[in-house]
Amino acid sequence: MEETLAIFIASTLRLGMPLMLAASGELVSERAGVLNLSLEGMMLTAAFFGALGSWATGNPYLGVGCAVLASLCVAAVQAWLSVDLRANQLVVGIGFNILALGATTLLYRVIFGGLSREEIPGLPKLAVDGLSNLPFAGTAFFQQSVIVYFGLALMVLIWVILNHTSFGLAVRAVGDEPLSADKAGIPVARTRRLAVLVAGAMAGLAGAFISIADIHTFTENMTNGAGYLALAAVIFGGWNIGRTIAACLLFGAATALQFQLPAMGIVVPTAFLLMLPYLLALLAVAGVVGRLEPPTALTLPFRRGK
Amino acid sequence: MTQSTTAEPPLLALDGLGKRFGSLQALEGVSLGVRAGTVQCLLGENGAGKSTLCNLIFGVYGRSAGHMAFGGAPWAPASPAVALERGIAMVHQHFSLVPRMTVVENLMLGQVKGMLHRHEFGARIRDIAERFGFVLDPDAVVGELSVGERQRAEIVKCLMRDPRLLVLDEPTAVLPPGEIGALLDICRRVADSGRAVILVTHKLAEIAKVADRVAVLRGGRLVADEDMAGADMGTLVHAMVGREVKPLDVALAEPDDGVADQPAAAEATGPRRFALVCDGLSVEDRHGAVRLDNFTLEIRPGEIVGLAGVEGNGQSELGMVLAGLLRPTEGRFYMGDVELTHAGAAAVTAAGGGIVPEDRHAVACVTAMSVAENMYLNKLGQFTRFGLLHRRALHAAAETQMRTFDVRAAGPEVAFSGLSGGNQQKAVLARELTLDPLVALVAAQPTRGLDISAVEAVYRQIRAAARRGVGVLLISSELDELIAVADRIAVLYRGRLVGERPAAAGERAAIGALMSGQVMSDQAE
Repeated sequence: MEETLAIFIASTLRLGMPLMLAASGELVSERAGVLNLSLEGMMLTAAFFGALGSWATGNPYLGVGCAVLASLCVAAVQAWLSVDLRANQLVVGIGFNILALGATTLLYRVIFGGLSREEIPGLPKLAVDGLSNLPFAGTAFFQQSVIVYFGLALMVLIWVILNHTSFGLAVRAVGDEPLSADKAGIPVARTRRLAVLVAGAMAGLAGAFISIADIHTFTENMTNGAGYLALAAVIFGGWNIGRTIAACLLFGAATALQFQLPAMGIVVPTAFLLMLPYLLALLAVAGVVGRLEPPTALTLPFRRGK
Repeated sequence: MTQSTTAEPPLLALDGLGKRFGSLQALEGVSLGVRAGTVQCLLGENGAGKSTLCNLIFGVYGRSAGHMAFGGAPWAPASPAVALERGIAMVHQHFSLVPRMTVVENLMLGQVKGMLHRHEFGARIRDIAERFGFVLDPDAVVGELSVGERQRAEIVKCLMRDPRLLVLDEPTAVLPPGEIGALLDICRRVADSGRAVILVTHKLAEIAKVADRVAVLRGGRLVADEDMAGADMGTLVHAMVGREVKPLDVALAEPDDGVADQPAAAEATGPRRFALVCDGLSVEDRHGAVRLDNFTLEIRPGEIVGLAGVEGNGQSELGMVLAGLLRPTEGRFYMGDVELTHAGAAAVTAAGGGIVPEDRHAVACVTAMSVAENMYLNKLGQFTRFGLLHRRALHAAAETQMRTFDVRAAGPEVAFSGLSGGNQQKAVLARELTLDPLVALVAAQPTRGLDISAVEAVYRQIRAAARRGVGVLLISSELDELIAVADRIAVLYRGRLVGERPAAAGERAAIGALMSGQVMSDQAE
């Protein structure tokens, strides 16, 4: 039983990880007032280019680099459209997601074509010396991919940045009252662009985690809505990083149940388990579980003057 | 002091400054010098170009013509950020604070780089506040502060940058009467510390207390610029409005048109005894604090009852309740003979309750829609046939109304946001006063931010409505206006009705004492 629980915790962490990475980046962007509905597209693009880079170079770390770079490119265009051209953020996001799905599917078929299902070089699991052999905790926490530890450190960093640095203060101000921030001398557009790029970089890591660290291959539409779940987690978490990460872990746990329950011999319809994280997300977004106020200027483009 | 500074070159010099927005010449040929160590007042009616001038100085807009010099060098700030960096700070009419952040966070915004040290910065805030003679809690969340406190936070924010010139755009417009004196004291102390202060206002009486020099703008042009010591109030008023106006009391006094109050009111009384009845209304906010406490008031048809009180003593809540936008925790209210306590806004309108909300922009109108649409927002059904809006009829009706109520706009089809504050308010009033039937009118701060002629127009309409038998509840923080317009004045203090007085100039002190909570009137136990 204890072993099962340890595996459950480990898989919750593993399955929640891409959500946590993407959501904590998205949180920064949303606190700055830019909603990246394109998170799903960023992750999918990253997953593909991560796999491609890793396969082409034989080095999974270079693969991660490719993933982050690809996602940053998407984020840069998103930032340009939604911050500089003041395009509707929802429409831009949906457009990106459709584009990313089409483009990665096409490229996958063209490039990998015959050798689909080929395993690509993946990131190693980092068995932390002395800790990974601990009973229970070793299995639960210390036999994860390197990205997990790196990602957790990044989340702490994001918390520090948001709450204890001038950049974080600027991010929160441009997301709540961009006009006031502007008058205080904060460069609103630049702050927002940077925040979108943070979301892009984190979504890149999330995508890389899925294709290189977790599954070691690319399949069509392999993110399978994880980007949307990350968006839901930000809302569920009330735009607070701790609660957002908790929400991601909850979604991760719901996903992990799909594998755990059958393993424990508990018969639940698979369809229901597949649905569970999305159902939770829906309830969260609908405000059933404690609604909190979004940043005041979320999705609202900023223009100086009248 | 004035003699010695005259010799120095001005800190800020404007020369032939002009600004054009499309076809509107907002500012033209303005030349002015502002010296260090002085308070320069800038007077003018709404739309005279005061805010535009401030925004040019502060780099919000670029100028269209002329030159500026600051500290002896040419001045053309590309943005507010540049202006701040080079020594000009501005307190805007609409505060530029982030309500969800604390005072210290707001003040650190744009001021610090890297890690935040809230504690040390908070101590600096306390120091500066103390130096200029007031108190400010750095850890308070801005959204929970009073207007006066927010304004002081704004001022500290400006002073932290150690500016050589502090610009305050209409700082007194939002303040309750009791806080205006404190603000002017702060202005004086800032000027005495060697800085220059530009104080924008359209309230003439205030400036006499604090100004060294006064300049008057009218229609975008500078029409007066003189030392306060030698200035004559009458001349300034004349310069400001460009025509002879009666002083406020006279302007607002009952027009002598031979229609005596008494018969009209009696005639209109008819079967109804009361136009508006509030019976023990109480409101608790979501933190459980009592905002309105057992408020009971009866207004007869044809009667104007003024509700005085320092802002934030329950007026907003009462206004919301009577508009059908907020459910009272306890109590009931009636308009005519209809109970409307839980009926909602549409039912209030249907029952003949005209509402002029406190917040003109957010509640009273849809600024992106046309003047005509806004004037008939509650009666669009009249112009709808087969589910389609008959726009020509709507515009024709609106044009008639605009003439009747003196709403000045290029036409009924122009966007509401393009109107001046006074014309917006007149349009809102026109909409509410043409309700059929109209039983009661609740007007909250209907003259806030309006110039004298608009104030006069608003009260003329309200008074006319009362003569037709409408019961009026007039909520205002302008005691002078209430005394001039209302029949009797009730006073709200901390959500309680603490007393009632006849509306007479001799009662000013008594009402003032009630407003400040110093005495409880006999009637209120």
